[in-house]
Amino acid sequence: MTEQMMTFSGALNAVLHQAMRQDGAVVCIGEDIAQNGGVFGVTHGLCDAFGSDRVIDTPISETAFVGMAVGAAMTGLKPMVELMFCDFTGVCFDQILNQAAKARFLSNGKLKLPLVIRTTMGAGDGSGAMHSQSLHGLFASIPGLIVVCPSSPADAAGLLKSSLASDDPVIFLENKQLYELEGLVDAALPPVPLGSAKLAKDGADVTIVATSAMVHEALAAATRLESAGVSAAVLDPRTVKPLDEASILEHVRGTGRLLVVDEGAPFAGLADAVISSVVRGSFPSLKAAPQKLCPPDTPVPYAPAPEACWLPGSDAIVEAVVLMMED
Amino acid sequence: MNRNELKIYRQCWFIRAFEGAIAAEAAAGNVPGLVHLSTGSEVADALIGHHIDPNRDKVTGSHRSHGLALACGVEPLDVAKEILGKAGGLSDGLGGTQHLIAPESGFLTSNGIVGAQVPIAAGAALSAKSRSGGGIGVAVFGDGAANQGAVLETMNMAVALKLPMLFVLYNNGMAQSTKAETASGGNYRDRARSFGLPVWSADSVDFAACSKAVEHSVGHARLKGPAFVEVAVSRDHGHYYGDEKADQVFGANDALLAFEKWLLEQGVERSAIVAAADAGKAHAHAIVTEAVAAPNAPATLLSGWSSGESAVND
Repeated sequence: MTEQMMTFSGALNAVLHQAMRQDGAVVCIGEDIAQNGGVFGVTHGLCDAFGSDRVIDTPISETAFVGMAVGAAMTGLKPMVELMFCDFTGVCFDQILNQAAKARFLSNGKLKLPLVIRTTMGAGDGSGAMHSQSLHGLFASIPGLIVVCPSSPADAAGLLKSSLASDDPVIFLENKQLYELEGLVDAALPPVPLGSAKLAKDGADVTIVATSAMVHEALAAATRLESAGVSAAVLDPRTVKPLDEASILEHVRGTGRLLVVDEGAPFAGLADAVISSVVRGSFPSLKAAPQKLCPPDTPVPYAPAPEACWLPGSDAIVEAVVLMMED
Repeated sequence: MNRNELKIYRQCWFIRAFEGAIAAEAAAGNVPGLVHLSTGSEVADALIGHHIDPNRDKVTGSHRSHGLALACGVEPLDVAKEILGKAGGLSDGLGGTQHLIAPESGFLTSNGIVGAQVPIAAGAALSAKSRSGGGIGVAVFGDGAANQGAVLETMNMAVALKLPMLFVLYNNGMAQSTKAETASGGNYRDRARSFGLPVWSADSVDFAACSKAVEHSVGHARLKGPAFVEVAVSRDHGHYYGDEKADQVFGANDALLAFEKWLLEQGVERSAIVAAADAGKAHAHAIVTEAVAAPNAPATLLSGWSSGESAVND
């Protein structure tokens, strides 16, 4: 196994090159992805390598091109759609909510839907309320969709590989703040199974469940907590749906404390789903009430100070854990 | 020669200098996110601002609407502060460059979603129609948005419901970073005609024709019903400022130079033309300088908005 340093976006790009090389059915569809290589550079070089019949620049017509991808997936292609920002799913939500998510069920499995919609999530760069949302919880609430939120280059590569191999539609959410993050990636780009959590750091006192960019905030907090004598674990579900409840329950049974840190909705989102699962599944082992840290229940603000205040961060995580330890 | 044209010319230079100053602030790291500049559409912006009635009309625009908002008469200092994320901005910095909202000035909203402003203008037109005050809704959108279903649906609905609405298509030839010619079928005027909309069109390098097209289409929307006008404009930058992948340059197509030439042909003294441009530029620089010095939006801005508190506070 040879490993190499890759950026998050570079790892995704490498998987796309590999997938298109290995499987002629894989096509890429989206705005500014061919000639410009994608707004974040993830599709760089694909058009040169595989041509404009397989790497398709579309009009700004999300309903039409997501719908086209749904139909193409039903009929033999394996489309990878790039949707610049997950906020734009608002434009084409019928094709996601009613068409992509339900086709396999309604056909009793006759239809396969090997469709990956890659899109972005995440605040922190002053992009404002319609280019910064994190809607993984919303997608996860729709039966029929797989929802993926990688936090590292290796996971991004491996999960994208598994997503491209899936016959169920996948919403693949890349945090904008992570694109330049570097990490070691196996040159063979091995798949990471969907629905499998990763223990990013082990610990005995508290289980911090976090995904996407929040993993890094949680890891920073865990390091600081260590020096304060608190041993915090960071568990990254990696896939929001299906959620690896077994791994979460098992770990919380060991620590007795759960904090969920999530950039998604503070109401009926991933944090609530994890807490619900833990309360139902390992209630007797809890030493303190499970807690969550999410943004406030507002749209993402534009100006830097309010936006920084909106985002959960390592300071707040440390504070929350310390409070839990006092319980 | 009357004062109106010189006033519009000054406005155009005000917008260009305003965007130039914002670009400089963006380059210096003083703009929170990416900005989409109006540089290249000043003539179209200024003409819309000139021909609408801010007391009864409502304009909606795209993510690229700094110039349009300024032309509609929105307080420029508040616009600059909003773009820079400052306290005292139009929304105190909550909205930002893509979400300029000033209904009190006739500028209902710009939008972060391509094309989403178009049905909203239809709603403004419906309100205006119900008030019978002669107001109109004006949707300004680009050739990229012209391929959005919501835009085409709204064209049909505006005709079906006889809404006092004007569709203004700014054709700059680029849909974000993809050339319009590779992303669009047919032409936009034929699309509008096929819905039964009367169509005007002009190139912003031809000031007189452009002015007439905007004036007549606004008049039609106000008196007779929905109308469509396509204005060819430039975009002097990539999709956003700093997007070098899709940079464009004016070349000979600078509508402001053409406007200047036209003014000279009309017999306007060169000194008056230069003075108007200089006044616009000086005003813009003063505004942006003042906005830069304003205090940043505070983190406390968020309090009161959580969990439906806003509704309670209203």
